[in-house]
Amino acid sequence: MFFRVILAEIRKSLKQYFFSSRTMVWALLLPLGNGLYLYFLYLPFAVKSVNLEFNSANFSLDLVGFTLIGQLLYSFFTMMLLAGSALDVERQQGTLETVLLSPANRLAVLLGGALANALNYIWLLIGILLSWVAFLNVNILINDLLALLASISLSYLSLIAIGMCLEALSLHSRRGGMYGTTLQEPIMFLSGLIFPLQSMPRALLPLSYLLPLTFGLISVRLTLLAGASMVDVAIPLAVLASMAVIFFTLATWMIGHAERSAKAKATLTQF
Amino acid sequence: MAIHSLRVIVYTAKMNLIMTWRFFSWTGFALRFFSPIMTLGAAWVLYSQVYRGALSQEFGDAVGKSGYLPFITIGNAFFVFVFAAAFVVGRVMFWERTTGTIEATFMSPMNRLAYMAGVMVAAAADALISFTTVFIIGLAFGTQIASFNAPLFISSLLLTAFALFGIGLMANAITLTFRDRTTTANTLTILFMVFSGIVCPVELMPLWAQQISSILPLTYGIRLMRVSLLGIKTYNIISDLATLLILGAIYVGIGALTLRLIERNLKKKALFSVF
Repeated sequence: MFFRVILAEIRKSLKQYFFSSRTMVWALLLPLGNGLYLYFLYLPFAVKSVNLEFNSANFSLDLVGFTLIGQLLYSFFTMMLLAGSALDVERQQGTLETVLLSPANRLAVLLGGALANALNYIWLLIGILLSWVAFLNVNILINDLLALLASISLSYLSLIAIGMCLEALSLHSRRGGMYGTTLQEPIMFLSGLIFPLQSMPRALLPLSYLLPLTFGLISVRLTLLAGASMVDVAIPLAVLASMAVIFFTLATWMIGHAERSAKAKATLTQF
Repeated sequence: MAIHSLRVIVYTAKMNLIMTWRFFSWTGFALRFFSPIMTLGAAWVLYSQVYRGALSQEFGDAVGKSGYLPFITIGNAFFVFVFAAAFVVGRVMFWERTTGTIEATFMSPMNRLAYMAGVMVAAAADALISFTTVFIIGLAFGTQIASFNAPLFISSLLLTAFALFGIGLMANAITLTFRDRTTTANTLTILFMVFSGIVCPVELMPLWAQQISSILPLTYGIRLMRVSLLGIKTYNIISDLATLLILGAIYVGIGALTLRLIERNLKKKALFSVF
């Protein structure tokens, strides 16, 4: 039953949004545009590479790769933030009460929505990556394929989990879309997307470490662009795995709480 | 006819300013500045922490002795001006349709361009507040103004607003036809943001990017703005002013034409408000 609900949600979302103009803009145009913007931000400087320090090691990364690859992962994160407004959409369509009246597992509904968004994006991600390597000369250096796959999978899982938390928050607050949009800029700054984390003002570092994107960016950049091995990225991978578990647990609790609260106050659809 | 159009402009601007004031929200106002603050903050970190002020020779050749942070601040302030002005005009018809007033608007005998110009005047007034705010934020990041050429500053603002008015007209035609708001706005935002030279001189970009930037009015507007505030000597002011004027005339011409054609088509097929 749990998996059937997930599959049904995925199917529904893919039918609605697969290859839509929305997907094209958010998954294709936005990462390329933002990636180029970040790349151009670096052009006035004399040095054309980026040093990424992590765990007492220093990796020199190609500038195009640093900015564009980071942007790909960030766009995936944005898709997850937008998934946070899925229940708002159900509410606007007038179908939220029906969804919650059904015996479908709430977590499965949320997971299905988040997975659909992820699936919608993943095929584009692969295509974009290959085209950038071919046309923009991104220097790829993979020494440990397993470490790369683990980095991508764990980043993917932890970002889906945080997307589910936002969905629950959206049900509770009715401002999922606004939160999703508002959070984008601070997250871009704090996650180390624009510049390497070692240059972040120290006072802001604790906030950076709360974001799964921060560790996702470190592990994916190092394994894809600097040939890092599983040992090099063991810490960020462990943090990503922990975050996935914590955020999934939190999402389960939050959705139950939000639903109970909305039912008790009769505010599921009415304000 | 001219007086009638002038009245339309004045009263549309008045109505829009009243609406802006009536529905003013501090959250919405603050959200406008997230992107520029993020860019200014990132530029500051890159300049002072990552590369310790080591700018390339090409940057110096392109903009003379003006510093990196003032360069970025002016680019961002101008982009906020563009964002606040162009996108209000670009969404006029979308909101008219959403609020159910589009048919009444098109039934009235007023000049469409005068109506849009009225919206643009109100939006530009609002956008100037945003521009000034980003500038003040930039001062906190260490921006210093080397000079102030008032006639050039004002003419670059006016000419850019004129060109953006044309782009706004075209955006209306697109939103009316495809019933879309977000995708059009995001596409235009990315185009302006990436290729107009907000964060680096256009001369430093790859050739293909320079070709795209050469047809965007914002490229010339930003350049003139920087010349007026930073005293950069490397640009040809007359040529940039002329190009901006020509581009503006082309965009307004195409925008007015497409809007008229779309209006005619929608009326013919009875597609104004019903799908």
